[in-house]
Amino acid sequence: MNSLIVKALGFAAILIIATIVVVKQMHIDLSDPINAITIIGAIAIAVLTAGVSAKYISQMKSDTASGELADENWDGIGEYKNELPSGWAYAFLGTIVWALWYWTIGYPVDAFSQIGQWNEEVKTYNKKFEEVHKNADQATLQQMGESIFLVQCAPCHGVTGDGLSGKAQDLTKRMSKEQVLYVIKNGQNQLGYPMGAMPPGMASGEAAEKIATWIANGSKGTPPAEFAVCASCHGADGKGNNGMSPNLTEYDQPLVEHVLKQGKKGMIGRMPAFHGRFTPVQVKALATYINTLKDN
Amino acid sequence: MFHWLEKNPFLFSVGVFIVIAFAGLIEILPNFAEAARPVVGLKPYTVLELAGKEVYKKDNCIACHSQLIRPFKAETDRYGQYSLSGEYAYDRPFLWGSKRTGPDLHRVGNYRTTDWHENHMWDPTSVVPGSIMPAYKHMFTNKADIETAYAEAVTVKTVFNTPYGDDIKPGREAWEAYKPKVIEEAKKIAADMKNQDVKDAVNRGEVPEIVALIAYLNRLK
Repeated sequence: MNSLIVKALGFAAILIIATIVVVKQMHIDLSDPINAITIIGAIAIAVLTAGVSAKYISQMKSDTASGELADENWDGIGEYKNELPSGWAYAFLGTIVWALWYWTIGYPVDAFSQIGQWNEEVKTYNKKFEEVHKNADQATLQQMGESIFLVQCAPCHGVTGDGLSGKAQDLTKRMSKEQVLYVIKNGQNQLGYPMGAMPPGMASGEAAEKIATWIANGSKGTPPAEFAVCASCHGADGKGNNGMSPNLTEYDQPLVEHVLKQGKKGMIGRMPAFHGRFTPVQVKALATYINTLKDN
Repeated sequence: MFHWLEKNPFLFSVGVFIVIAFAGLIEILPNFAEAARPVVGLKPYTVLELAGKEVYKKDNCIACHSQLIRPFKAETDRYGQYSLSGEYAYDRPFLWGSKRTGPDLHRVGNYRTTDWHENHMWDPTSVVPGSIMPAYKHMFTNKADIETAYAEAVTVKTVFNTPYGDDIKPGREAWEAYKPKVIEEAKKIAADMKNQDVKDAVNRGEVPEIVALIAYLNRLK
């Protein structure tokens, strides 16, 4: 047995023993098959390392250079004309194939896109949202409405919905007397209700005053006789004929929907449209929440 | 075959650089060129809006407000549709900002109105309790520099071919002829405002900074 093989076996033995020592010190449970396989793998690596080293050391000792020298030499150091190792050559051809695939299919079809990721995220979320809240109960809607209100509505209507002393509509009441008079005088055609435009000057003078006072006081009790002119569209009770025209007594869901969709310019100023910024469930939640503000 | 190349390391390096740079060019430049085109329907800023943009820059709104909505759900929920680079085609310079002490403003025109801005600039805490934004009352008295804004419009039209109409052209007479249009636009903004001094100033043919700024903010959508 030549001395190189002895040295290689000795090297392998040292590696194996070192591995076992470390394993023992770390108190690794070898009855666990994963650990056992890992140990066998470690031993195999040690043996292979020793074997491969021995092969190349022996080659270095016995090999002599041969072959055809290239024409150039650099300060006396020459280079043999060797064939490219076949592994490299195939890998090179492989990269060409991969480049063709990447150029025609990989990049154009499967490219990462931030917008695509956003689309997926929103789609997944919306689907889940609709499923979870398909039959949301009042408490959930109320809570959802409040959080939407605080983010989107409170900057103008105030956190309590009081309209910040006249800077926006006071949502704790339906309409002030001045507002009713303003609408009666100027008409209204912004909300897109099925009944259509309300012409200006439907009432005037004392009649308008009486109507305005009744609405501003919360539409309690029987309406004044003058309300008959309003009742043809807004209903005898002022509740808007089931969504055919605006409800004058409270913020019901059709009213919230229409205002969010169209925006509104009234006596106080302009409210921008929020069309498309809320899902139907969220609009319902907002309507639920806004309707409870008047009770506080 | 390529031994001559190996013998010329400098030439070889230049060759490698050119190959890699070319790959970079054909991957990067077409995207840039496409993204820099204005999105469909984008109009250049009016002169009044440009004056407002100058106010925005001058009072350093960019220090606390960004103008770039990233495509994340949390952002699009709060601020609206994510920003596209083509929307900034007429922004010279763009005002993306990199700090959000206050909210993003890229689509503020969608959910705030002239009334709100007027209240907010006069006294931010009157509409946003707890706001740390300072009041900008000086904007109600300072006059916006609409003349320079006009000059800017002329410049970008000449240098960058920004599509302004034929009535925007160099020269004092052209400006005198154009000025009534700016005042007309300012009057529309002032009509929605409550501050009497501002209304009076606009009727006198002056443009307070607040009017120009609101015109600019309303334009952001």
